[in-house]
Amino acid sequence: MSESLKEALESTFKDIQVSVHEDSRIAVTAESHSVLAILKFLKDAGFDHLALISSVDWIEDNVIELCFILTCYERGGEHANSQKMHIILKTPIPREQPQFKTVIGVFPNAEPYEREIHELFGIDFEGHPRLTPLLLERHYEIPPFRKDFDTRKYVEEVFDSIPSIEPEKT
Amino acid sequence: MRELELYFGPQHLGMVGNFSITLKVEGDRILEAQANPGYLHRGFEKLMEYRTWIQNFPLVCRINVVEPDHIEMIYAMAVEKLAQIEVPEKAHFVRSIYLELARVGSHLFGLWAYANMLGFDTVAQWAMYHRDLVLDLFEELTGGRVYHIYIWPGGVRRDFPPGFADKMVNTLHSIGGCVPDYDSTFFNNRLFYERAKGIGQLTQREAKEWGAMGQTLRATGVKFDVRKAEPYAAYDKVDWDVPVREDGDAYSRVWVIRDEMIESVHMIFKLLDAMPEGPVYNRIPNPFKWNIPKGEAYVRCESSRGELGLYLVSNGGDKPYRVHFRTPSYPHGLIILEKLLRNASIADVGNIMISLYVVAPEIDR
Repeated sequence: MSESLKEALESTFKDIQVSVHEDSRIAVTAESHSVLAILKFLKDAGFDHLALISSVDWIEDNVIELCFILTCYERGGEHANSQKMHIILKTPIPREQPQFKTVIGVFPNAEPYEREIHELFGIDFEGHPRLTPLLLERHYEIPPFRKDFDTRKYVEEVFDSIPSIEPEKT
Repeated sequence: MRELELYFGPQHLGMVGNFSITLKVEGDRILEAQANPGYLHRGFEKLMEYRTWIQNFPLVCRINVVEPDHIEMIYAMAVEKLAQIEVPEKAHFVRSIYLELARVGSHLFGLWAYANMLGFDTVAQWAMYHRDLVLDLFEELTGGRVYHIYIWPGGVRRDFPPGFADKMVNTLHSIGGCVPDYDSTFFNNRLFYERAKGIGQLTQREAKEWGAMGQTLRATGVKFDVRKAEPYAAYDKVDWDVPVREDGDAYSRVWVIRDEMIESVHMIFKLLDAMPEGPVYNRIPNPFKWNIPKGEAYVRCESSRGELGLYLVSNGGDKPYRVHFRTPSYPHGLIILEKLLRNASIADVGNIMISLYVVAPEIDR
Protein backbone atom coordinates (compact mmCIF):
# COMPACT_ATOMS: atom_id res chain seq x y z
CA MET A 1 0.00 0.00 0.00
CA SER A 2 1.22 3.50 0.68
CA GLU A 3 4.23 2.36 2.70
CA SER A 4 5.24 -0.34 0.22
CA LEU A 5 4.96 2.17 -2.61
CA LYS A 6 7.14 4.57 -0.66
CA GLU A 7 9.79 1.88 -0.19
CA ALA A 8 9.63 0.88 -3.84
CA LEU A 9 10.01 4.48 -4.97
CA GLU A 10 12.87 5.22 -2.61
CA SER A 11 14.78 2.08 -3.54
CA THR A 12 14.36 2.67 -7.29
CA PHE A 13 15.15 6.37 -7.51
CA LYS A 14 17.80 8.52 -5.86
CA ASP A 15 17.28 12.12 -4.71
CA ILE A 16 13.59 11.63 -4.13
CA GLN A 17 11.48 12.59 -1.14
CA VAL A 18 8.29 10.68 -0.48
CA SER A 19 5.83 11.50 2.26
CA VAL A 20 2.62 9.66 3.01
CA HIS A 21 -0.29 11.68 4.41
CA GLU A 22 -3.35 10.68 6.35
CA ASP A 23 -5.83 11.56 3.61
CA SER A 24 -4.38 8.85 1.30
CA ARG A 25 -2.25 11.43 -0.46
CA ILE A 26 1.35 10.62 -1.34
CA ALA A 27 3.56 13.61 -2.04
CA VAL A 28 6.70 12.98 -4.07
CA THR A 29 9.36 15.60 -4.77
CA ALA A 30 11.96 14.84 -7.40
CA GLU A 31 14.51 16.49 -9.66
CA SER A 32 13.21 17.40 -13.07
CA HIS A 33 15.43 14.95 -15.00
CA SER A 34 13.96 11.90 -13.26
CA VAL A 35 10.28 12.88 -13.54
CA LEU A 36 9.68 10.99 -16.77
CA ALA A 37 11.06 7.77 -15.33
CA ILE A 38 9.05 8.17 -12.14
CA LEU A 39 5.85 8.76 -14.10
CA LYS A 40 6.51 5.59 -16.11
CA PHE A 41 7.13 3.67 -12.90
CA LEU A 42 3.93 4.95 -11.31
CA LYS A 43 1.89 4.20 -14.41
CA ASP A 44 3.13 0.61 -14.36
CA ALA A 45 2.36 0.47 -10.64
CA GLY A 46 -1.31 1.09 -11.36
CA PHE A 47 -1.68 4.88 -11.29
CA ASP A 48 -2.95 5.01 -14.84
CA HIS A 49 -4.87 8.29 -14.82
CA LEU A 50 -3.13 11.64 -15.08
CA ALA A 51 -5.77 13.86 -13.53
CA LEU A 52 -4.01 17.19 -13.77
CA ILE A 53 -0.77 18.95 -14.48
CA SER A 54 -0.56 22.15 -12.51
CA SER A 55 2.13 24.64 -11.65
CA VAL A 56 2.77 27.00 -8.78
CA ASP A 57 4.97 30.08 -9.02
CA TRP A 58 7.02 30.27 -5.81
CA ILE A 59 8.49 33.68 -6.56
CA GLU A 60 10.46 33.96 -3.29
CA ASP A 61 12.34 30.71 -3.97
CA ASN A 62 12.70 31.69 -7.62
CA VAL A 63 11.22 28.43 -8.86
CA ILE A 64 8.09 27.30 -10.62
CA GLU A 65 6.87 24.01 -9.28
CA LEU A 66 5.28 21.58 -11.72
CA CYS A 67 2.76 19.21 -10.13
CA PHE A 68 1.53 15.98 -11.69
CA ILE A 69 -1.51 14.51 -10.00
CA LEU A 70 -2.09 10.82 -10.58
CA THR A 71 -5.02 8.64 -9.62
CA CYS A 72 -6.10 5.17 -10.68
CA TYR A 73 -9.11 4.07 -12.71
CA GLU A 74 -9.52 0.65 -11.24
CA ARG A 75 -8.30 -1.21 -8.24
CA GLY A 76 -5.51 -3.61 -8.98
CA GLY A 77 -1.80 -3.69 -9.38
CA GLU A 78 0.75 -4.16 -6.68
CA HIS A 79 0.50 -0.77 -5.01
CA ALA A 80 -2.66 0.94 -6.19
CA ASN A 81 -5.08 -1.17 -4.22
CA SER A 82 -7.22 1.72 -3.12
CA GLN A 83 -8.95 4.08 -5.52
CA LYS A 84 -8.76 6.72 -2.84
CA MET A 85 -5.03 7.04 -3.21
CA HIS A 86 -3.60 9.84 -5.24
CA ILE A 87 -0.06 10.97 -5.89
CA ILE A 88 1.17 14.53 -6.22
CA LEU A 89 4.54 14.49 -7.96
CA LYS A 90 6.30 17.83 -7.73
CA THR A 91 9.42 19.11 -9.39
CA PRO A 92 11.00 22.58 -9.21
CA ILE A 93 12.01 24.39 -12.38
CA PRO A 94 14.13 27.58 -12.34
CA ARG A 95 12.08 30.65 -13.25
CA GLU A 96 14.74 32.09 -15.56
CA GLN A 97 15.20 28.89 -17.56
CA PRO A 98 11.75 27.35 -17.61
CA GLN A 99 12.33 24.20 -19.61
CA PHE A 100 10.98 20.73 -19.24
CA LYS A 101 10.61 17.58 -21.31
CA THR A 102 7.09 16.77 -22.41
CA VAL A 103 5.40 13.76 -20.81
CA ILE A 104 3.04 13.07 -23.72
CA GLY A 105 4.95 9.84 -24.40
CA VAL A 106 3.81 8.44 -21.06
CA PHE A 107 0.40 10.09 -20.70
CA PRO A 108 -1.12 11.22 -24.04
CA ASN A 109 -3.72 13.33 -22.21
CA ALA A 110 -0.97 15.67 -20.96
CA GLU A 111 -1.12 17.63 -24.21
CA PRO A 112 -3.62 20.42 -23.41
CA TYR A 113 -2.38 20.76 -19.83
CA GLU A 114 1.17 21.40 -21.03
CA ARG A 115 -0.12 23.81 -23.64
CA GLU A 116 -1.97 25.76 -20.98
CA ILE A 117 1.02 25.89 -18.64
CA HIS A 118 3.22 27.03 -21.50
CA GLU A 119 0.82 29.86 -22.17
CA LEU A 120 0.08 30.93 -18.60
CA PHE A 121 3.44 30.27 -16.94
CA GLY A 122 5.86 30.40 -19.86
CA ILE A 123 7.34 26.93 -19.43
CA ASP A 124 8.73 25.43 -22.63
CA PHE A 125 7.95 21.77 -23.06
CA GLU A 126 10.59 20.17 -25.28
CA GLY A 127 9.12 17.78 -27.82
CA HIS A 128 5.54 19.02 -27.51
CA PRO A 129 3.87 18.84 -30.95
CA ARG A 130 1.95 22.15 -30.75
CA LEU A 131 2.70 24.81 -28.18
CA THR A 132 0.26 27.20 -29.81
CA PRO A 133 -1.93 29.65 -27.84
CA LEU A 134 -4.87 27.94 -26.17
CA LEU A 135 -6.90 30.39 -24.10
CA LEU A 136 -5.47 33.89 -24.38
CA GLU A 137 -5.99 36.32 -27.23
CA ARG A 138 -2.76 38.32 -27.16
CA HIS A 139 0.87 37.91 -26.28
CA TYR A 140 2.10 39.01 -22.86
CA GLU A 141 5.71 39.84 -21.99
CA ILE A 142 5.36 38.27 -18.57
CA PRO A 143 3.20 35.15 -18.67
CA PRO A 144 0.00 36.29 -16.92
CA PHE A 145 -0.32 33.63 -14.24
CA ARG A 146 3.15 34.34 -12.82
CA LYS A 147 3.16 36.19 -9.55
CA ASP A 148 5.09 39.20 -10.87
CA PHE A 149 2.42 39.94 -13.49
CA ASP A 150 0.79 43.15 -12.31
CA THR A 151 -2.91 42.76 -13.07
CA ARG A 152 -3.82 46.27 -11.96
CA LYS A 153 -1.19 47.88 -14.15
CA TYR A 154 -2.27 45.71 -17.07
CA VAL A 155 -5.92 46.66 -16.68
CA GLU A 156 -5.07 50.37 -16.50
CA GLU A 157 -2.86 50.21 -19.57
CA VAL A 158 -5.23 48.18 -21.71
CA PHE A 159 -8.69 49.31 -20.69
CA ASP A 160 -8.12 52.88 -19.49
CA SER A 161 -6.56 53.77 -22.82
CA ILE A 162 -9.87 53.10 -24.57
CA PRO A 163 -11.60 56.50 -24.95
CA SER A 164 -15.04 56.78 -23.39
CA ILE A 165 -17.98 56.77 -25.76
CA GLU A 166 -19.92 59.67 -24.26
CA PRO A 167 -18.62 63.16 -25.00
CA GLU A 168 -17.23 64.92 -21.94
CA LYS A 169 -19.41 67.63 -20.48
CA THR A 170 -18.03 71.13 -20.69
CA MET B 1 -11.55 16.30 -54.02
CA ARG B 2 -10.41 19.67 -52.76
CA GLU B 3 -9.47 20.15 -49.13
CA LEU B 4 -11.27 22.95 -47.35
CA GLU B 5 -10.93 24.64 -44.01
CA LEU B 6 -14.24 25.03 -42.22
CA TYR B 7 -14.93 27.05 -39.10
CA PHE B 8 -17.51 25.40 -36.89
CA GLY B 9 -18.79 27.72 -34.15
CA PRO B 10 -18.44 29.65 -31.83
CA GLN B 11 -22.11 30.30 -32.57
CA HIS B 12 -23.72 27.16 -33.87
CA LEU B 13 -26.95 25.26 -33.29
CA GLY B 14 -25.03 22.06 -32.86
CA MET B 15 -23.19 23.18 -29.78
CA VAL B 16 -23.87 24.70 -26.42
CA GLY B 17 -21.72 27.62 -25.38
CA ASN B 18 -18.96 29.52 -27.07
CA PHE B 19 -16.50 27.05 -28.43
CA SER B 20 -15.24 26.65 -31.94
CA ILE B 21 -13.67 23.90 -33.95
CA THR B 22 -11.53 24.35 -37.03
CA LEU B 23 -12.19 21.49 -39.38
CA LYS B 24 -10.16 20.37 -42.35
CA VAL B 25 -12.66 18.67 -44.64
CA GLU B 26 -12.72 16.82 -47.91
CA GLY B 27 -16.28 16.57 -49.19
CA ASP B 28 -18.23 16.07 -45.99
CA ARG B 29 -15.54 13.92 -44.36
CA ILE B 30 -13.39 15.50 -41.66
CA LEU B 31 -9.67 14.98 -42.06
CA GLU B 32 -8.55 16.88 -39.02
CA ALA B 33 -10.19 18.87 -36.24
CA GLN B 34 -8.72 21.47 -33.95
CA ALA B 35 -10.60 22.66 -30.90
CA ASN B 36 -10.34 26.39 -30.17
CA PRO B 37 -11.40 27.28 -26.65
CA GLY B 38 -10.81 30.67 -25.06
CA TYR B 39 -13.97 32.59 -25.94
CA LEU B 40 -15.01 32.48 -22.30
CA HIS B 41 -11.64 32.78 -20.59
CA ARG B 42 -12.25 35.02 -17.60
CA GLY B 43 -9.11 34.16 -15.66
CA PHE B 44 -10.96 32.99 -12.55
CA GLU B 45 -7.97 31.12 -11.20
CA LYS B 46 -5.93 34.31 -11.22
CA LEU B 47 -8.75 36.47 -9.87
CA MET B 48 -9.17 34.09 -6.95
CA GLU B 49 -5.59 34.74 -5.84
CA TYR B 50 -6.62 38.34 -5.11
CA ARG B 51 -9.72 37.58 -3.04
CA THR B 52 -10.18 36.16 0.43
CA TRP B 53 -11.25 32.58 0.99
CA ILE B 54 -14.91 33.51 1.44
CA GLN B 55 -15.01 36.17 -1.28
CA ASN B 56 -14.20 33.44 -3.79
CA PHE B 57 -17.54 31.66 -3.41
CA PRO B 58 -19.48 33.94 -5.78
CA LEU B 59 -16.66 33.45 -8.31
CA VAL B 60 -16.28 29.69 -8.30
CA CYS B 61 -19.90 28.93 -9.11
CA ARG B 62 -19.59 30.91 -12.34
CA ILE B 63 -16.99 28.51 -13.72
CA ASN B 64 -19.66 26.14 -14.93
CA VAL B 65 -22.86 27.90 -15.86
CA VAL B 66 -24.93 24.74 -16.21
CA GLU B 67 -24.22 23.23 -12.83
CA PRO B 68 -22.46 25.57 -10.42
CA ASP B 69 -23.15 23.42 -7.37
CA HIS B 70 -20.42 20.85 -7.71
CA ILE B 71 -17.81 23.57 -8.09
CA GLU B 72 -19.02 25.21 -4.86
CA MET B 73 -18.83 21.82 -3.21
CA ILE B 74 -15.32 21.11 -4.30
CA TYR B 75 -14.00 24.51 -3.26
CA ALA B 76 -15.65 24.14 0.14
CA MET B 77 -14.17 20.64 0.45
CA ALA B 78 -10.67 21.89 -0.33
CA VAL B 79 -10.94 24.81 2.13
CA GLU B 80 -12.25 22.44 4.80
CA LYS B 81 -9.38 20.07 4.19
CA LEU B 82 -6.74 22.81 4.43
CA ALA B 83 -8.29 24.56 7.43
CA GLN B 84 -9.35 21.27 9.05
CA ILE B 85 -12.97 22.22 9.57
CA GLU B 86 -15.46 19.54 10.57
CA VAL B 87 -18.85 19.31 8.88
CA PRO B 88 -21.92 18.21 10.89
CA GLU B 89 -23.55 14.91 9.97
CA LYS B 90 -26.77 16.46 8.75
CA ALA B 91 -24.94 18.89 6.49
CA HIS B 92 -23.40 15.92 4.66
CA PHE B 93 -26.89 14.67 3.84
CA VAL B 94 -28.17 18.10 2.86
CA ARG B 95 -25.16 18.53 0.59
CA SER B 96 -25.68 15.17 -1.09
CA ILE B 97 -29.36 15.85 -1.71
CA TYR B 98 -28.56 19.29 -3.07
CA LEU B 99 -25.84 17.92 -5.37
CA GLU B 100 -28.07 15.14 -6.69
CA LEU B 101 -30.80 17.66 -7.38
CA ALA B 102 -28.22 19.68 -9.28
CA ARG B 103 -27.26 16.55 -11.24
CA VAL B 104 -30.89 15.98 -12.24
CA GLY B 105 -31.21 19.62 -13.36
CA SER B 106 -27.97 19.47 -15.28
CA HIS B 107 -28.83 16.19 -17.00
CA LEU B 108 -32.21 17.59 -18.01
CA PHE B 109 -30.41 20.55 -19.53
CA GLY B 110 -28.05 18.14 -21.28
CA LEU B 111 -31.02 16.19 -22.59
CA TRP B 112 -32.53 19.43 -23.88
CA ALA B 113 -29.31 20.22 -25.75
CA TYR B 114 -29.03 16.75 -27.23
CA ALA B 115 -32.69 16.40 -28.22
CA ASN B 116 -32.71 19.92 -29.65
CA MET B 117 -29.64 19.19 -31.74
CA LEU B 118 -31.21 16.01 -33.16
CA GLY B 119 -34.46 17.84 -33.93
CA PHE B 120 -36.61 16.28 -31.21
CA ASP B 121 -38.16 19.60 -30.30
CA THR B 122 -40.96 18.21 -28.15
CA VAL B 123 -38.63 16.23 -25.93
CA ALA B 124 -36.33 19.23 -25.70
CA GLN B 125 -39.17 21.43 -24.47
CA TRP B 126 -40.24 18.84 -21.91
CA ALA B 127 -36.70 18.59 -20.57
CA MET B 128 -36.41 22.36 -20.34
CA TYR B 129 -39.74 22.57 -18.52
CA HIS B 130 -38.72 19.89 -16.04
CA ARG B 131 -35.40 21.60 -15.46
CA ASP B 132 -37.35 24.74 -14.67
CA LEU B 133 -39.23 22.86 -11.95
CA VAL B 134 -35.88 21.88 -10.45
CA LEU B 135 -34.74 25.50 -10.62
CA ASP B 136 -37.90 26.51 -8.73
CA LEU B 137 -36.82 24.18 -5.95
CA PHE B 138 -33.40 25.79 -5.90
CA GLU B 139 -35.00 29.21 -5.76
CA GLU B 140 -37.00 28.27 -2.72
CA LEU B 141 -34.01 26.70 -1.02
CA THR B 142 -31.28 29.23 -1.76
CA GLY B 143 -32.86 32.35 -3.24
CA GLY B 144 -31.08 31.96 -6.58
CA ARG B 145 -32.18 30.05 -9.64
CA VAL B 146 -28.92 29.48 -11.47
CA TYR B 147 -26.13 30.45 -9.06
CA HIS B 148 -26.90 29.30 -5.55
CA ILE B 149 -23.82 29.76 -3.31
CA TYR B 150 -25.43 27.40 -0.83
CA ILE B 151 -22.51 25.24 0.26
CA TRP B 152 -20.18 26.92 2.68
CA PRO B 153 -17.03 25.76 4.50
CA GLY B 154 -18.35 23.99 7.59
CA GLY B 155 -21.71 22.99 6.13
CA VAL B 156 -24.48 24.70 4.18
CA ARG B 157 -25.93 28.18 4.55
CA ARG B 158 -29.31 27.19 5.95
CA ASP B 159 -31.48 24.21 6.65
CA PHE B 160 -34.35 23.12 4.39
CA PRO B 161 -37.28 25.51 4.85
CA PRO B 162 -40.51 24.00 6.27
CA GLY B 163 -42.31 21.86 3.69
CA PHE B 164 -39.41 21.92 1.27
CA ALA B 165 -38.69 18.19 1.46
CA ASP B 166 -42.32 17.35 0.58
CA LYS B 167 -42.32 19.79 -2.28
CA MET B 168 -39.09 18.29 -3.60
CA VAL B 169 -40.51 14.77 -3.42
CA ASN B 170 -43.67 15.86 -5.25
CA THR B 171 -41.69 17.61 -7.99
CA LEU B 172 -39.39 14.63 -8.47
CA HIS B 173 -42.38 12.27 -8.60
CA SER B 174 -44.02 14.37 -11.27
CA ILE B 175 -40.79 14.42 -13.32
CA GLY B 176 -40.34 10.69 -12.76
CA GLY B 177 -43.91 10.09 -13.93
CA CYS B 178 -42.87 11.38 -17.35
CA VAL B 179 -40.05 8.86 -17.79
CA PRO B 180 -42.29 6.49 -19.86
CA ASP B 181 -43.13 9.42 -22.13
CA TYR B 182 -39.46 10.28 -22.53
CA ASP B 183 -38.71 6.63 -23.26
CA SER B 184 -41.36 6.18 -25.90
CA THR B 185 -40.71 9.47 -27.69
CA PHE B 186 -36.96 9.64 -27.40
CA PHE B 187 -34.89 6.90 -25.81
CA ASN B 188 -36.66 3.98 -27.49
CA ASN B 189 -37.26 5.91 -30.67
CA ARG B 190 -35.86 4.33 -33.82
CA LEU B 191 -34.75 7.76 -35.08
CA PHE B 192 -32.61 8.35 -32.03
CA TYR B 193 -31.12 4.88 -32.38
CA GLU B 194 -30.28 5.36 -36.05
CA ARG B 195 -28.83 8.79 -35.43
CA ALA B 196 -26.69 7.99 -32.39
CA LYS B 197 -25.70 4.32 -32.67
CA GLY B 198 -22.05 3.92 -33.57
CA ILE B 199 -21.41 7.68 -33.61
CA GLY B 200 -18.27 8.83 -31.84
CA GLN B 201 -17.28 5.37 -30.76
CA LEU B 202 -14.60 5.04 -28.12
CA THR B 203 -12.95 1.86 -26.85
CA GLN B 204 -12.22 1.31 -23.20
CA ARG B 205 -8.47 1.49 -23.76
CA GLU B 206 -8.74 4.77 -25.69
CA ALA B 207 -11.01 6.28 -23.06
CA LYS B 208 -8.51 5.55 -20.32
CA GLU B 209 -5.55 6.67 -22.36
CA TRP B 210 -7.12 10.03 -23.17
CA GLY B 211 -8.23 10.72 -19.62
CA ALA B 212 -11.99 10.26 -20.01
CA MET B 213 -14.23 10.38 -16.95
CA GLY B 214 -17.93 10.43 -16.20
CA GLN B 215 -20.42 9.15 -18.79
CA THR B 216 -17.80 9.04 -21.50
CA LEU B 217 -15.86 6.48 -19.46
CA ARG B 218 -18.87 4.64 -18.03
CA ALA B 219 -20.36 4.22 -21.50
CA THR B 220 -17.33 2.09 -22.38
CA GLY B 221 -18.01 -0.33 -19.55
CA VAL B 222 -15.72 0.98 -16.79
CA LYS B 223 -17.62 1.16 -13.54
CA PHE B 224 -15.83 4.18 -12.15
CA ASP B 225 -17.50 6.91 -10.18
CA VAL B 226 -15.73 9.25 -7.75
CA ARG B 227 -18.75 9.01 -5.46
CA LYS B 228 -17.93 5.31 -5.04
CA ALA B 229 -14.16 5.46 -5.35
CA GLU B 230 -13.60 8.25 -2.85
CA PRO B 231 -16.93 8.83 -1.09
CA TYR B 232 -17.58 12.36 0.10
CA ALA B 233 -20.65 14.00 1.69
CA ALA B 234 -23.15 11.20 2.48
CA TYR B 235 -22.69 9.00 -0.59
CA ASP B 236 -21.39 6.09 1.46
CA LYS B 237 -24.39 6.20 3.79
CA VAL B 238 -26.98 4.92 1.34
CA ASP B 239 -27.09 2.12 -1.19
CA TRP B 240 -26.99 3.02 -4.86
CA ASP B 241 -25.64 1.74 -8.15
CA VAL B 242 -23.45 3.11 -10.94
CA PRO B 243 -25.14 2.79 -14.36
CA VAL B 244 -22.83 1.41 -17.05
CA ARG B 245 -23.11 0.69 -20.79
CA GLU B 246 -20.73 -1.24 -22.97
CA ASP B 247 -20.61 0.23 -26.47
CA GLY B 248 -18.88 3.56 -25.91
CA ASP B 249 -20.84 5.46 -28.58
CA ALA B 250 -23.15 8.49 -28.40
CA TYR B 251 -26.15 6.21 -27.92
CA SER B 252 -24.61 4.57 -24.84
CA ARG B 253 -23.53 7.91 -23.39
CA VAL B 254 -27.03 9.35 -23.60
CA TRP B 255 -28.49 6.19 -22.08
CA VAL B 256 -26.01 6.41 -19.19
CA ILE B 257 -27.19 9.98 -18.61
CA ARG B 258 -30.81 8.81 -18.50
CA ASP B 259 -30.09 5.96 -16.07
CA GLU B 260 -28.03 8.25 -13.88
CA MET B 261 -30.85 10.74 -13.61
CA ILE B 262 -33.22 8.04 -12.38
CA GLU B 263 -30.59 6.71 -9.96
CA SER B 264 -30.11 10.25 -8.59
CA VAL B 265 -33.82 10.64 -7.91
CA HIS B 266 -33.91 7.31 -6.06
CA MET B 267 -30.84 8.37 -4.12
CA ILE B 268 -32.51 11.62 -3.04
CA PHE B 269 -35.47 9.64 -1.63
CA LYS B 270 -33.12 7.31 0.26
CA LEU B 271 -31.06 10.22 1.60
CA LEU B 272 -34.20 12.03 2.77
CA ASP B 273 -35.28 8.93 4.69
CA ALA B 274 -31.89 8.47 6.33
CA MET B 275 -31.27 12.14 7.12
CA PRO B 276 -30.45 12.71 10.81
CA GLU B 277 -31.47 15.71 12.89
CA GLY B 278 -29.00 18.34 14.03
CA PRO B 279 -27.25 21.53 12.99
CA VAL B 280 -26.33 22.13 9.36
CA TYR B 281 -23.22 24.23 9.83
CA ASN B 282 -20.26 24.72 12.11
CA ARG B 283 -19.10 28.22 12.81
CA ILE B 284 -16.03 29.32 10.87
CA PRO B 285 -13.56 32.00 12.04
CA ASN B 286 -14.11 35.66 11.17
CA PRO B 287 -13.79 35.66 7.37
CA PHE B 288 -11.94 38.97 7.34
CA LYS B 289 -9.14 37.62 9.52
CA TRP B 290 -9.14 34.06 8.36
CA ASN B 291 -5.65 32.77 7.62
CA ILE B 292 -5.45 29.18 6.49
CA PRO B 293 -2.30 27.21 7.36
CA LYS B 294 0.28 26.56 4.68
CA GLY B 295 -0.43 23.44 2.69
CA GLU B 296 -1.78 21.89 -0.47
CA ALA B 297 -4.75 19.70 -1.24
CA TYR B 298 -6.16 17.88 -4.23
CA VAL B 299 -9.83 17.07 -3.81
CA ARG B 300 -12.26 15.64 -6.33
CA CYS B 301 -15.94 14.98 -6.71
CA GLU B 302 -18.20 13.54 -9.38
CA SER B 303 -19.87 16.38 -11.20
CA SER B 304 -22.56 15.51 -13.71
CA ARG B 305 -19.86 15.43 -16.39
CA GLY B 306 -17.13 13.45 -14.69
CA GLU B 307 -14.32 13.91 -12.27
CA LEU B 308 -14.06 17.48 -11.08
CA GLY B 309 -10.82 18.16 -9.25
CA LEU B 310 -9.30 21.11 -7.46
CA TYR B 311 -5.67 21.64 -6.62
CA LEU B 312 -5.56 24.33 -3.94
CA VAL B 313 -2.38 25.76 -2.41
CA SER B 314 -2.20 28.02 0.61
CA ASN B 315 0.91 29.84 1.77
CA GLY B 316 -0.56 30.65 5.16
CA GLY B 317 -2.32 33.84 4.08
CA ASP B 318 -5.90 35.07 3.92
CA LYS B 319 -6.13 34.35 0.19
CA PRO B 320 -5.40 31.24 -1.88
CA TYR B 321 -1.89 31.11 -3.33
CA ARG B 322 -2.80 28.97 -6.31
CA VAL B 323 -6.06 27.52 -7.54
CA HIS B 324 -6.31 25.06 -10.40
CA PHE B 325 -9.52 23.34 -11.41
CA ARG B 326 -9.48 20.01 -13.22
CA THR B 327 -12.74 20.22 -15.06
CA PRO B 328 -14.17 17.13 -16.80
CA SER B 329 -14.86 18.95 -20.07
CA TYR B 330 -11.17 19.73 -20.43
CA PRO B 331 -9.96 16.30 -21.59
CA HIS B 332 -13.32 15.57 -23.26
CA GLY B 333 -13.41 18.77 -25.29
CA LEU B 334 -9.74 19.20 -26.10
CA ILE B 335 -8.46 15.65 -26.62
CA ILE B 336 -11.26 13.17 -27.14
CA LEU B 337 -13.36 15.47 -29.34
CA GLU B 338 -10.42 16.08 -31.68
CA LYS B 339 -9.69 12.36 -31.93
CA LEU B 340 -13.31 11.32 -32.45
CA LEU B 341 -13.96 13.92 -35.13
CA ARG B 342 -11.26 12.49 -37.36
CA ASN B 343 -13.01 10.67 -40.24
CA ALA B 344 -16.45 11.65 -38.98
CA SER B 345 -18.89 13.50 -41.22
CA ILE B 346 -19.74 17.18 -40.81
CA ALA B 347 -23.32 16.35 -39.81
CA ASP B 348 -22.05 14.45 -36.78
CA VAL B 349 -19.93 17.21 -35.24
CA GLY B 350 -22.66 18.53 -32.96
CA ASN B 351 -23.82 15.02 -32.21
CA ILE B 352 -20.38 13.95 -31.02
CA MET B 353 -19.70 17.14 -29.12
CA ILE B 354 -22.96 17.23 -27.21
CA SER B 355 -22.88 13.52 -26.48
CA LEU B 356 -19.44 14.08 -24.89
CA TYR B 357 -21.25 16.62 -22.70
CA VAL B 358 -18.73 19.39 -23.29
CA VAL B 359 -19.46 22.70 -21.57
CA ALA B 360 -17.31 25.54 -22.87
CA PRO B 361 -17.02 27.79 -19.76
CA GLU B 362 -15.60 24.84 -17.86
CA ILE B 363 -12.73 24.49 -20.30
CA ASP B 364 -11.82 28.17 -20.35
CA ARG B 365 -12.35 28.99 -16.69
